[in-house]
Amino acid sequence: MVDDDTALAEMIGIVLKSDGFETAFCADGSEAVDVWRAEKPDLVLLDLMLPGKDGIEICREIRVESGVPIIMLTARSDTTDVVSGLEAGADDYIVKPFNPKELVARIRTRLRPATPEDNQTLRVGDLTIDVAAHEVRRGDELISLTPLEFELLVALASKPQQVFTREQLLEQVWGYHYKADTRLVNVHVQRLRSKVERDPDNPRVVMTVRGVGYRAGASS
Amino acid sequence: MSGTATGTLGARVRGLLRRPLRAWRHSLEFRTILISTVATTVAIIIAAVWTALAIQTELYDSRRDQTLADAKRAIDIVQSSLDNAAVATDRAATQQLRQQMLQDLNTASSTRFIAAFPIPELSSDTMPSGFTTRTDGLFEGSMVSDGLREQVRTKPESQWYQAIGLQHPDGPEIPAIVVGQQLEMPNVGVYEVYLAYPVSDVAQTLAFVQLALAIMGVGLVVIVAGVVWLVMRSVAAPIVEVSRASARLSEGDLATRLPESGQDELATLARSFNQMADSIESQIRELAELSLVQQRFVSDVSHELRTPLTTIRLAAGILHGERESFDPVTARSAELLYDQVARFEQLLADLLEISRYDAGSVELERESQSLSDVAEQVAESLRQVAWQHDTELRFHGADGDDVAEMDPRRVRRILRNLVGNAIEHGEHQPIDITVAQNETAVAVGVRDYGLGMRPEDTARVFDRFWRADPSRQRTLGGTGLGLSIALGDARLHGGSIDVWSQLGVGTHFVLTLPRGAAADMVAPIPVEPPDALTTGDLRAGNGPGTETLIVRQQQGREEDT
Repeated sequence: MVDDDTALAEMIGIVLKSDGFETAFCADGSEAVDVWRAEKPDLVLLDLMLPGKDGIEICREIRVESGVPIIMLTARSDTTDVVSGLEAGADDYIVKPFNPKELVARIRTRLRPATPEDNQTLRVGDLTIDVAAHEVRRGDELISLTPLEFELLVALASKPQQVFTREQLLEQVWGYHYKADTRLVNVHVQRLRSKVERDPDNPRVVMTVRGVGYRAGASS
Repeated sequence: MSGTATGTLGARVRGLLRRPLRAWRHSLEFRTILISTVATTVAIIIAAVWTALAIQTELYDSRRDQTLADAKRAIDIVQSSLDNAAVATDRAATQQLRQQMLQDLNTASSTRFIAAFPIPELSSDTMPSGFTTRTDGLFEGSMVSDGLREQVRTKPESQWYQAIGLQHPDGPEIPAIVVGQQLEMPNVGVYEVYLAYPVSDVAQTLAFVQLALAIMGVGLVVIVAGVVWLVMRSVAAPIVEVSRASARLSEGDLATRLPESGQDELATLARSFNQMADSIESQIRELAELSLVQQRFVSDVSHELRTPLTTIRLAAGILHGERESFDPVTARSAELLYDQVARFEQLLADLLEISRYDAGSVELERESQSLSDVAEQVAESLRQVAWQHDTELRFHGADGDDVAEMDPRRVRRILRNLVGNAIEHGEHQPIDITVAQNETAVAVGVRDYGLGMRPEDTARVFDRFWRADPSRQRTLGGTGLGLSIALGDARLHGGSIDVWSQLGVGTHFVLTLPRGAAADMVAPIPVEPPDALTTGDLRAGNGPGTETLIVRQQQGREEDT
């Protein structure tokens, strides 16, 4: 939990503790990455505006080393900060003031075990997805994805003939049951493409269906 | 046929007239040139006519005097020669005398147009007959008027004259002056002698002078028009430039300036204009900055409040969740805290929304939606609340296609607010939600039959934090910003919210959303409900308190803070 407002951090700690989570705190942006390395948490709650180093930079540094779920806390949803944060690798964001149920729901969605329905192997484009092993390969090359990106790819690849609207993906991957920010989908599709596509400008794996949404590319 | 013919003719005349009329109304240059040309023409015509007349009079007068002198001299010479001649006694002698007289007249005068008639009353029998020097009929006694002859006959000592035309049988008329006088042949009789002097040379001179005057006049008019045009161009061009610059300035191009060159009045005009533009620009920038600072302040404050509010909310949530284990007073306190935090949060959210409108930073997420569908969803979602208030919601969908481009989230918010208000103020009477459409717009009316409002309250209903009756208990919460936000949302769509209200009769809100250009919008639902017409008597009977007021809140951002 990275937030310079210690009262809020403590309060969130109390809420999460009552829901069975353990928390570690960091109030200074410049120490956040070190604390993260030391604590190795399952999820990072990150305030965007921090002294020392801002949340976007921290997000970027964590992403270099890990795909750990990151949820941003922000006071404003209408700024470019949110998009920058998502582009830096944050999985989701939550706007203050939020209610405790919402926060816990967001955290649980990100921490839920990837549904290992069966040990199936999915193929999309020239990629092979081993769902149980959480691995994506192009030939012998292993492509490293964050859990969110993996889940997004699996969601698309498991129903290759279906076109997913952004709202459907928000519900399936992010767990939003009401209309949420479609920028989440746009940004993460871009991030996913930059990792899995040979040419992100000419996607073969995650195809855009203009005016509707996305679908998986044909397997080859 | 004739109707068409005159019609097209009329149209053509109007067409021909339209352009000059347009130029007259729209072009200072054209007007000035026309006025000065017309004025110059009139002045020159007056001057030329006067000059021509003066020259004519002068020419004719001098010619007349000359003529009279010539005639007098000739008559005098002939008279004296007649007087000195031997008295003729017989017919032969008088004939000779007449011949002599004729010859003398010819030599003494400068004209060859001479005629003479004996005056019978003063002549003896031996008086020779009259004569004329012309054989070609160019000058005959009959050309002299009877009046002149009468004068000559009766006034022996005077010269008489008149203007005549010498008429050649197959030639032009030659203007001439004819002078008449008596000539006495002693002891024989008296002649009336007429000498005609052609004045065609005078007429020629005059024609030449008139031509010269006319040419000069036309030339002057052309020159004056040209000079005026040149002057106008040098004056009007900068004025046109100033007017264009003003137009650009008023369109919002604050950087518009005029070139300043020289020291004349036009340069002063340009300088004044530029100073004005400078001052407008700086004032507007200052205001814009102030407004921006204020908006940013509101926005910042709202955002800064969010972090502690989050903490408070989480804490209140924990307390609220644990209230079962508290003693009653603490438990109630926890409940109050929880509810009021929620209200505070709503207020903050509304405030932020408003500050976004003020900053103009709201973007619509438009999609094609049926307004009936959206309105019905809202009605359904509020049915539970309405039921709790013992209120029936009656939904009337639109006939025909009522799909329009809209941001459904915002339209739902507007309708939730309008219907919520209606439930709250509807006094448990049914509420009618009516959707209608036409080619230009879709609309939804929310009509309650409750308390209604006074006109002065109706006028303020969209004001921020304004409440019709501060003492009235609010049952549905609300922040006092709901209608302001609703109006902001409607305006973002290019639409409007109109309100009609009458105390004791009810209130009617109409949301109208344009399908195309907002300017062409025709309201599908009139804000004054049809049943309001029946309350005319009521209004008359109950005095001013029940007067109806309709407030139209059109799009176009008038600032109301």
